[in-house]
Amino acid sequence: MAQKIGVYIDTGYGIGEALDVEALSQVAVKEYKVAVCRAEPYWSDPEKLAIIRNDIATEELTAVIIAGPSRRVFEKEFRFDGIITERVNLREHVVWCQPPNNEDTQMLAEDYLRMGIVKTQKYDDRAPFSEATEKAILVIGGGVTGLHAALGAANAGYQVYLVEKEAELGGWARKYPKVFTGKPPYDELVASQVGEKIAAVQASDRVKVFTGSQVYEIAGAPGMFDVIIRPNGPWVEEANKKANDWRAEQLARAARFAGEKQEAAAEKEEEVGAWGVGERPEPDYEHTRVAVGAIVVAAGWRPEDASKFEHLGFGKYPDVITSVQMEELAAKGKITRPSDGAAVQSIAFIDCTGKDNEKPNFLYHSYVTSLVALKQAHYLRQSNPDGRAYIFYENMRTPGQYEKYYQTMQDDPGVFLSKGGVLGVSNGGRQLAVEVKDTLLAERLKVSVDLVVLGVGMVPVTQDSAVVNLRYRQGPFLPVNPQGFNDSHFICFPYETQRTGIYTAGCVKQPMDFYQSGTDGLGAALKAIQCAELTAQGKAVHPRAGDQSYPELFITRCTQCKRCTDECPFGMYDEKPDGTPMPNPTRCRRCGICMGSCPERIISFRDHSVDMIGSMIKSIEVPDEYSEKPRVVVFICENDAYPAIDMAGINRMHYSPFVRFVPLRCLGNINLIWIADSLSKGIDGVMLIGCKYGDDYQCHFVKGSELAGVRMSKITETLQRLVLEPERIEVHQLGIDEYAQVPVLIDKFLETLSGFDPNPYKGF
Amino acid sequence: MAKELIAEPDLGFTKGLLKSGGSDLKKCYQCATCSVACKVSPDNQPYPRKEMIWAQWGLKDRLMNDPDIWLCHQCNDCSTLCPRGANPGDLMKAVRKMHIESTCWPSFLGGLVGEPSMFVVAMGIPVVVVLLLVYFFNGFDFSGPSPVNYGAFINYIPIQVIYTLALVFAVVSLVISLKRYWNSLEANNPIEVQGPRKGFVPSLIEALKEILPHTTFRDCEANNIRYAAHLLTFWGMIGLFVTTAIVAFNIDILHLKPPSQNGPGTVAIKILGNASAVAFILGLVIMTVRRLTVPDQAGSSAYFDWLFLFVILGTGITGLVTELVRWAGSVPGAYFFYMIHLMFVLALLLYLPFLKFAHLGYRTVAIAWGKSVGRNMTLATAAKYVPPAKPVEEAASE
Repeated sequence: MAQKIGVYIDTGYGIGEALDVEALSQVAVKEYKVAVCRAEPYWSDPEKLAIIRNDIATEELTAVIIAGPSRRVFEKEFRFDGIITERVNLREHVVWCQPPNNEDTQMLAEDYLRMGIVKTQKYDDRAPFSEATEKAILVIGGGVTGLHAALGAANAGYQVYLVEKEAELGGWARKYPKVFTGKPPYDELVASQVGEKIAAVQASDRVKVFTGSQVYEIAGAPGMFDVIIRPNGPWVEEANKKANDWRAEQLARAARFAGEKQEAAAEKEEEVGAWGVGERPEPDYEHTRVAVGAIVVAAGWRPEDASKFEHLGFGKYPDVITSVQMEELAAKGKITRPSDGAAVQSIAFIDCTGKDNEKPNFLYHSYVTSLVALKQAHYLRQSNPDGRAYIFYENMRTPGQYEKYYQTMQDDPGVFLSKGGVLGVSNGGRQLAVEVKDTLLAERLKVSVDLVVLGVGMVPVTQDSAVVNLRYRQGPFLPVNPQGFNDSHFICFPYETQRTGIYTAGCVKQPMDFYQSGTDGLGAALKAIQCAELTAQGKAVHPRAGDQSYPELFITRCTQCKRCTDECPFGMYDEKPDGTPMPNPTRCRRCGICMGSCPERIISFRDHSVDMIGSMIKSIEVPDEYSEKPRVVVFICENDAYPAIDMAGINRMHYSPFVRFVPLRCLGNINLIWIADSLSKGIDGVMLIGCKYGDDYQCHFVKGSELAGVRMSKITETLQRLVLEPERIEVHQLGIDEYAQVPVLIDKFLETLSGFDPNPYKGF
Repeated sequence: MAKELIAEPDLGFTKGLLKSGGSDLKKCYQCATCSVACKVSPDNQPYPRKEMIWAQWGLKDRLMNDPDIWLCHQCNDCSTLCPRGANPGDLMKAVRKMHIESTCWPSFLGGLVGEPSMFVVAMGIPVVVVLLLVYFFNGFDFSGPSPVNYGAFINYIPIQVIYTLALVFAVVSLVISLKRYWNSLEANNPIEVQGPRKGFVPSLIEALKEILPHTTFRDCEANNIRYAAHLLTFWGMIGLFVTTAIVAFNIDILHLKPPSQNGPGTVAIKILGNASAVAFILGLVIMTVRRLTVPDQAGSSAYFDWLFLFVILGTGITGLVTELVRWAGSVPGAYFFYMIHLMFVLALLLYLPFLKFAHLGYRTVAIAWGKSVGRNMTLATAAKYVPPAKPVEEAASE
């Protein structure tokens, strides 16, 4: 649909002084014949906004372009109901980083305005996807985390289904004699308060509890999850085996193809059995089927397998036990030795269970392990005033107010603390001899104790089974990071998983104490509620919360290459048996990675499409080869690179005026056709700036930046066809804080390009 | 750091330290600010950091054989800078108290003097002895003779006998204790210092060269006034000791009459005595006042500290008061305070090896031992000193 556009050029912020605003207006009026074009300072002022609103009403505008400050400011002010708002950044990207009243600066501003107008013209008119309206919440796991999540959601007015695999609610909290309070003054142990939560859940008429049951299968998508809950039985083992075998096969295949190129791997994709493809059989077993809008996974943890601590005497001496066994021992009252039942006078707590010649095994260790050692030392000291508790640690981690608890225990004369690596535990006659190296007291320290307690790590149960048993094309599991914990952008999106609408909380996500687990469960419940609500309104969830666009496929041109189903980090696409993708719009995070992946270019958003970006590139005016004014298109990630470039402008850092930034939702949007579009139009070089990837990735969409890098490695073919140097394309990673690098990267690239002739396609 | 250690924590010892003034010792988390802050700690195995963890772990053997506890002059730089409020200075002091108690001979007297509940018994002994003397010679008649003649109030001879015996006992006891200490340092060498060995006498001379002018004490910062106060008291006491020795020598050996107790105060020996007494008392008063008013700088004070201050300050003040009362012309007053003064002096002599007073011996021995093994404290504290980089292999092998 043709848009009726109003262009509002902001002459404040020094823009009016630095640019020929009259000439700039002519671009909009003469070249693009926009309905309205005004130039005034500070359009964000209320009286100026009134002018725009008046224009919208009288001129029947459908789109408004604000050419002024960055889109990152005044977002709310420039939002007009039912009207498309497009922002052209004349401030940070033009006048604040370029010399004023300069020919090149003017050309830069005019190009940005052209790109903005063309982009707006290409907006598609599409209604949001709002078919999914279920708002009930499924909570998996009835421990402290799950109970808090269930109660939180129920108290907020939502129907909750709580699934617990054990016969009773309460989880670990029910099994421990004492817990640390997490409340001032932080210096004592109290009985767990989980009983109250269990009673509250059981009393709530909004929470339906399924004990002794597990999730058999979850199909569907946020706002329309179809969940089958089934009582425990032999099926559990079978289902877990099936899922684990599938995962093992996946990992083996990934290892096999690790050395090969991505496309080679993709070609062999056919050999692997896709998960969840085909008819879903009707259940012929005892089950409950519920529809939910969002899911909280609070499945918790299990202790690390202690058999690998043989070097510490586990399995060899009955008096070497794990911290979980210690809780059971303490629950009986007086602490006695498992071997002969004698009263325990001294205990060595070993908080670093690594072998001597390797790095301590920290994978599943945490502050909780440190606190548990302190707590169990407290058990001993409370039950035996002459008892001696030795704690050997690699790191004593007691974050926040738990420092107070550490101080309390440290003040106890019967608690002996030292850093140190335990070399071994041996038979020392009636007692056990513990030898520790590199302690605070001596290079090698020996103590004799009645009992040795190994602080075992907390392994997320998702290591053992899929738990959620998703019926998704990309498998039944929640994707995990190399450490085996559920993977998401940990810093920015701690609750999110790579499966939209499913939020993890508690120890399944990271080791936590009871107090933190509770608050985390509550947080995840709020996330789930947000998801259910936004989905019902046809809006995206975090991080593009509120986005009403969604990907549409022009399916008749699909070649069933499966790149979209394979590359989507969020498992949005399911698959028909013939390989045709089946989009689930509510699973979509609107990153647009699929749009970049599609070789047929059939995936588009209403406000973001291959054609739209291509047209923007084509609208750039490319001076002829004799003018010595090269042109470089820079595709930038709008999450990290865009703010960094804004920061460079705010700091008045100057760089080449020949670059044209094209913001993308994610660098994973990058479609090879845009490179071809650029080069064939005479653009001299193309640069891609995405966020950091790797183990500590900063990508909002997990792997978009990485995928862009992979795609660019395949561009050589295109360049060869055009007879162009491969150095004309560069891919960079830029952290959001690395704004000082912006001028360096750009000017260096321009310098590289100056070594080549101008692009021979100029003027074609 | 020791190479090998079999730790058998003595919970009772730690509890003893907690009670004896080191009540914050468990708070230490081994950041070593104390050892860095200390101006007098050696650069090799510096104190008081290691003493803190030994104390936390109840390692009595280590602490009781540690020469470093006596190298500390308790200037309290460490305590004022401790980020955790663990007060290493107080711990060192408590360890020293425990050390005196466990090393002294006969040890029951150590227990008697160190135990607050035994105060009455401990002080009762000299009081009773002096009261008996007074009763025996004049039956509590404070009125004559006049003018004041102390030799006529109580005969000098028994006083000299009793007090010399007390002094001999103290010296013998102290020598035995110090010999024990020296031997244990030799045998255990707890901090594994290895250096040039020098004989006891040259080491002692070197130590005295440091002790007499208080050169180490002067380096302390937080409690610098105490350096001056201690110097006054120290030399005041030496002056008083010399005065007493000369007078005794004159009376007993040369059979000269003592300078008249009511005569002019301009005789050289009298000037020396009075000047020493003023210095002695002035120094002690400064230290006492600071203990009372600025405990955060002067360090906390436990029974052991107060008892010593009580005895030594009591000795000084009663001596001075006796003289002042005599000048004021009150004969009975002079005799009365003379009697009190005698009690304090007897306590001071008798309990020398058990009171904190014993530090004069232990500290000297520890410094001398340090000199003999080359435990040099002075690595010149150049501003922003950076230790030279070690070769990689050497560093790795450590």
